[in-house]
Amino acid sequence: MGLMRLIGKRLLLIPISLFILVSLSFLLLELMPGNPAITIAGDFASDAEIEKIEESLGLNDPLGARYLSYLGSVVRGDLGRSFFSDQPVLGELRERLPATMELVFLSLIVAAIVGLFLGVLGAYYRGRKVDKATRGTVTLFQSIPDFLMALLLIFFLFYLWSVAPAPVGRLGFSGVSVEPITGFLLVDTLVAGDLNAFVLAGQHLLLPVLALGIVYAAYFGKTARSTMATALDSTQVEFARACGLSEWKVVYYAFLQARTPILTYGAILFGALIGGAAIIETIFSWPGAGSWALTAILSLDIPVIQGFILAAGFVTITVFLLLDVLILLLDPRVRL
Amino acid sequence: MSDLGKRTLEILKRFLSVLRSQPAIGVGLTVVLAMLLAGFFLPLPYSPTRPDPLNVLQPPSSLHWFGTDSDGFDVFSRTIAAAARDLPLALIGTFLSALVGVPLGLLASTKGPWSERIMRGLDVFQSFPLVILAIAIVTLMGNRLENVVIAILIVNVPRFMRLVRSEALSLRESRFIEAARAVGATPIRVMRKHMFPNVVGVALAQTSIAAAQAIGIIAALSFLGVGVSPPNPSWGLMIQTGVRSITTGDWWVVVFPGLAVLIAVAAFNLVADGLQMRQENER
Repeated sequence: MGLMRLIGKRLLLIPISLFILVSLSFLLLELMPGNPAITIAGDFASDAEIEKIEESLGLNDPLGARYLSYLGSVVRGDLGRSFFSDQPVLGELRERLPATMELVFLSLIVAAIVGLFLGVLGAYYRGRKVDKATRGTVTLFQSIPDFLMALLLIFFLFYLWSVAPAPVGRLGFSGVSVEPITGFLLVDTLVAGDLNAFVLAGQHLLLPVLALGIVYAAYFGKTARSTMATALDSTQVEFARACGLSEWKVVYYAFLQARTPILTYGAILFGALIGGAAIIETIFSWPGAGSWALTAILSLDIPVIQGFILAAGFVTITVFLLLDVLILLLDPRVRL
Repeated sequence: MSDLGKRTLEILKRFLSVLRSQPAIGVGLTVVLAMLLAGFFLPLPYSPTRPDPLNVLQPPSSLHWFGTDSDGFDVFSRTIAAAARDLPLALIGTFLSALVGVPLGLLASTKGPWSERIMRGLDVFQSFPLVILAIAIVTLMGNRLENVVIAILIVNVPRFMRLVRSEALSLRESRFIEAARAVGATPIRVMRKHMFPNVVGVALAQTSIAAAQAIGIIAALSFLGVGVSPPNPSWGLMIQTGVRSITTGDWWVVVFPGLAVLIAVAAFNLVADGLQMRQENER
């Protein structure tokens, strides 16, 4: 019973958080200096031309009026059109967000597997050689910027060993097209029964997922080591050992204690990666939301920036809601 | 000896004992210092800002130790010279962040609805991806170096605040703070004399982590052409130049500036690890 009420309370918070998010993104972009009309018109435009563009974008209306009209259109599901491509922001988000989500989701799985392996190993052999080796590996992973990791992977796996395809988007220049259902290529190709396209999509995912996965494994590794170290020191573990349980079982019980903070960390990383994958997307010509927002920021395409902030915020809020529910289900102590 | 001299000597002694128990800190600091000194004082074989168009994409040789890039810049000279620009920028940004964030965090640790509200506000702010935020700030405020420092500041101050606040909240419950309050110390005095010395450790570790991140952020910014003015050397910008060449196998343009970033970030992470280990051992 208490569970449903807690979830209901959280659900009620979502519209409020979204309202704050919309207002903040509107205000922040308003307050920032920089005139998109000048950017659109180019450096050699006359004042009259700039004024005409300002007028057509509605930049001359008073702030309050623009805020209200923006709020109104967001509620109606209209996020505006890009200043430059004139495409509706919502439509483009629908195309690009799944590409990013697929990348982020798989990267986090790789990161979790690699990171947990290193972290648990280090915590179990605390202070010994294995611990030093895993800590060193984690520090190394943490010190490589993700874009450098991507470039190194491209050099070795694409150029030298030809294991992976060239870094050109989700399917390359293969001419293969996939009917979008979920937007997740791996799912859509399986649903369509197109094994060829499935393999192709997987190959193109390999390098960007590895690059992000290895770099972000460091975060999982650090959290896992410290929480597992505490868990392995606890009296429960001592008791489990005293009962004569096998070491595998003991580590498993310790992991049950440590999983909540690790899950929380995963959720935080998920939110961070939606935009954080932007540079990787740029390097791999990935048609995702991050690289789209990046271009928009560099060219002051305000409707696109606002749309991205809203989408990223919405996904983050949803992920945190799911996390809360998951933790409630996994850890009954929180309910008390 | 004057009072001030005695105190510096004491701090120095403490510093040395820290170095002895956690050699990683010393190694990290030495590496950073060496990179800084090299960046400022090492005589360079070629000009880092003037390309040689006759020698483009030369592999590493005795003439060009790290090779040349697609514009004919000497990669060695630029990698070294970039340290004099990227490292101070990161250091200034992080120190300013600590300077602003630590006192604010202490202030936000006072009980009351406002401090709770401010922290919730920071939550929203922090859920935004770091690099994107930094790029947005520098792009929208103008492509200048000061704005890179401001971006690092805006990204880091909330982190310092959160960390110091959570430390301070648990400190507030302890006996000696209660005692200080009981004898009539003002809230400001409690913060300055009793709480600050107890959060210095975690704040220092966070400074080191933040410096490592700042290097990554600066590299990412200049990789995207934000906050740099070519032909001035910057590691991220150099890596960007190499993107075109790496798919055709000319690895040196990316690898050497990449290694420089890696070494700098790893050095700061080493210092942070050492400081954190010390904190753990003290508890």
